[in-house]
Amino acid sequence: MATSSAPGTDLSTELSDALLGEAVELPPGLGPWQLAWRRLRRNKVALFFGGLFLLILLLCLLAPVYAKHIAHIGPADENITGTVKVGGKAKDVVSTTGIPVGPTWHSRYFLGADENGRDVAVRLLYGGRTSLEIGFVATAITIFFGLLVGVLAGYFRGVTDGIITRVLDVIWAFPAVLLGVALGVSLALGGIGPLHGNTLMVPAVVVGLVYIPYVGKPVRGQVLGLREREFIDAARQQGLSHARIMFSEILPNLGSTIVVFVPLILANAILLEAGLSYLGAGVQPPNPSWGTMIADGIRTIPAAFHNVLVPGIMLVLAVMSINVFGDGLRDALDPRSKVRIAR
Amino acid sequence: MTRLARRALPVVVAVLAVVSATVLAACGGGGSSSSSTSGGSTSASTSQAKNGGTVNLIGGVAPDSLDPGFGYTTQAAEPDWLSYTGLVTYAHQSGTPGTQLIPGLATALPQVSADGKTYTATLRKGLKFSNGTPVKASDFAYTVERALRIPWGGSGQFIAGNIVGAKAYAAKKATKISGITTDDATGKITIHLTAPYGAFLNVLAFPSLGLVPSGTPMKNLPNNPPPGVGPYEIKNIVPNQSYEAVRTPGWGTGAMNIPGIPAGHVDVKVKISSNVDANALSVVNNTNDVYDWADTIPGSLLPQINSQAKNRYQKKVMNSTYYIFFNTQEKPFNNQLAREAVVTGLNQNAMSRLSSGSLIPGCYFLPPGMVGHPTTPCPYGDPAKGGDIAKAKQLVQQSGMKGQPVTVWSQQRAPRQQWMTYYTSFLNQIGFKAKQKLIADASYFPTIGNLKLHPQTGFADWNQDFPNPIDFYLLVQSSSILPTNNENFGEVKDSQIDSQSKKLGEVPTSKLNTIANQWQSLDEYVAKKAYVGVFGYQTFPALISTRMSPNYVFHPLYGWDFSSFSLK
Repeated sequence: MATSSAPGTDLSTELSDALLGEAVELPPGLGPWQLAWRRLRRNKVALFFGGLFLLILLLCLLAPVYAKHIAHIGPADENITGTVKVGGKAKDVVSTTGIPVGPTWHSRYFLGADENGRDVAVRLLYGGRTSLEIGFVATAITIFFGLLVGVLAGYFRGVTDGIITRVLDVIWAFPAVLLGVALGVSLALGGIGPLHGNTLMVPAVVVGLVYIPYVGKPVRGQVLGLREREFIDAARQQGLSHARIMFSEILPNLGSTIVVFVPLILANAILLEAGLSYLGAGVQPPNPSWGTMIADGIRTIPAAFHNVLVPGIMLVLAVMSINVFGDGLRDALDPRSKVRIAR
Repeated sequence: MTRLARRALPVVVAVLAVVSATVLAACGGGGSSSSSTSGGSTSASTSQAKNGGTVNLIGGVAPDSLDPGFGYTTQAAEPDWLSYTGLVTYAHQSGTPGTQLIPGLATALPQVSADGKTYTATLRKGLKFSNGTPVKASDFAYTVERALRIPWGGSGQFIAGNIVGAKAYAAKKATKISGITTDDATGKITIHLTAPYGAFLNVLAFPSLGLVPSGTPMKNLPNNPPPGVGPYEIKNIVPNQSYEAVRTPGWGTGAMNIPGIPAGHVDVKVKISSNVDANALSVVNNTNDVYDWADTIPGSLLPQINSQAKNRYQKKVMNSTYYIFFNTQEKPFNNQLAREAVVTGLNQNAMSRLSSGSLIPGCYFLPPGMVGHPTTPCPYGDPAKGGDIAKAKQLVQQSGMKGQPVTVWSQQRAPRQQWMTYYTSFLNQIGFKAKQKLIADASYFPTIGNLKLHPQTGFADWNQDFPNPIDFYLLVQSSSILPTNNENFGEVKDSQIDSQSKKLGEVPTSKLNTIANQWQSLDEYVAKKAYVGVFGYQTFPALISTRMSPNYVFHPLYGWDFSSFSLK
């Protein structure tokens, strides 16, 4: 396959080969999705991390509730000259020399403040929403366009394939972060239509575009195999149009591939967004994201390490949980693991 | 042994005290205390300074260019001042004495005609550029022409706006500046102005008018700056990484002995690293010797500095104003009430905390050390008490600008980004719909100086070019509004400011005290109209390693005076 030796990707392409083996034996009465679910249920580690990710997602979705009813402060609300009670004593949220208060373990400033006097816990949850939102939108963009170009290239082959593959090669040739920074900065400054300034769509589109080859090329390889199968020949014999063959016959057969790609791309998208935001080319202040929080916290490391540690831990937990769950999902959807199920 | 030592100690201390006092008295009172100048809070006699060695200075921002014909940032002016001496220069002293003009390459301070429009100077004899080429009077005319053509950032205001024929030369409508005549045989230089300009001697002291040889290419040479005349030569430039200021051989002897411009004791290697935290730590830990005063020391490092390097760290005050510009031609800040709302509600204490407590609160455009700084109470409340948010909200409501979208322009470097993040949040709090726009540090001022953008509001600052209020008022004169490299970011057009500042600007710097009250009135007027949102006057960090002698000069205009550096 074209992708098997491609440099720079961390997305497994073994899956595509495995999924081609449609003719594998299945226990009677069980469909492939039911079988996959049975496999996944037995993978306790994957389920645990899947649950952890859902918990993070839920907490982030509840950010407005936490901000309004518990912390009583918004994510961009600054309180530089205010005070907060710590151990019964009033303490400056930000000291006169600029050092923010650490975790109070109370409802306000539970995880401390940043150097602008904003509540780190509130920003952490809102930042998670931002990071996850960008991750999901970027993943949707990547999957949509990756599928589109992959199916077109693999199905039509020839000139179409040549053009699409070369374009994907060009994108692939750039280091993802470098390409992201270049696109992010130029879009934030110049902009195209709604993609300008500090809208969240800028990092979402940038991250989404960067990863298209990582999906497009494996899909193309898989479609190259599928288009030679008997059921496609049968569809052609029935006189179905190219569009119908691609979207009614080939696309459904890519379902399990897509399911496996989603967590992998999501994890990578969240990481890239954090990297770009850290470098100032992603989410623009005052919007919080885990990447911008780490960047903001760098200045206060010697006196307020929590400002870097807290978003860093959340980032690691979120990405690790998605990755481990994604691995479990891939194992579950991989027919070669049938032996374990049959036992 | 122990007993003897204990008994002997007071006697030894007393003897040492008497000897020290005698030596200090001799040094301080004698005329031969130093071949160099010294003074100010930290400077002392440098006659006993050790010669030799290299001092490592670490800075967060690279100079815009080390070519004096282009460089205009503090990071460029600092070394250029010592490498490109003009006809006039400043005394090498700390504090106010450092603002005193002294003859540089001219034999004496230029003579000014009775009408204030003609300046006459004579070049010293026997001067040579660092490459050995003799200095001629015509080199001065060439230097001015070069600064106009490259062009240097201040050339439009300070040269083209003042010297007869300079505007035509800049526009390539003339081959020479008609207002400058020179005679290489006698060394006589005559400069004719279009109108009296009181700060023109200060203009002549700009490093950008430090002489370079005739024939130097008329283009910016940032990596290979031209030869100059001064105690230091700039060499070994690695763009955005480092350069070296090396002592000029033979400086201080023969014809190159210019009174008041001392030879250096050490060479200086300047390194650039954007991580100011690490930079400060490297000086505290003696890996580097000098911290760039133009960078802010993060508050999180202050406890460590106070415990490890308290005697090596000082806060220095220079004439600078940090302010928010309001575009007076665009909504919402074309409305005075909207501007008043910001000035009323802005919490300067909060902004000071964002810069490790390094801001001195204030509301007037002219900084406290400048002649003309008003002493009357601020028109919209005491800035030291924090802002009045409720009143600010009320003013926004009254202005009819509630809900207006505002873009806040900001640099990325700390604490400027943090200041503007706070400001954006504050604008939203009082009723505007504000968002922040971050621009890379190097391109920030050229970007907001592009008139087509009409930036609504954002960060601005000004460090004095020279100790005259007119230097600050160029930023709010309507004649300063330019299509590119505009410095009047708020596009302020006020006939009272224009006429009054022009009139006051004609008074020579040496006679500023006679019109101090008029400058005060004008500055009060600007504060009342809220044309700029001043949020404080910055103090700057002077941090050195244990290797360094503390007898350095911190110049009020250029900061570190390399020629005063020495190692213990």
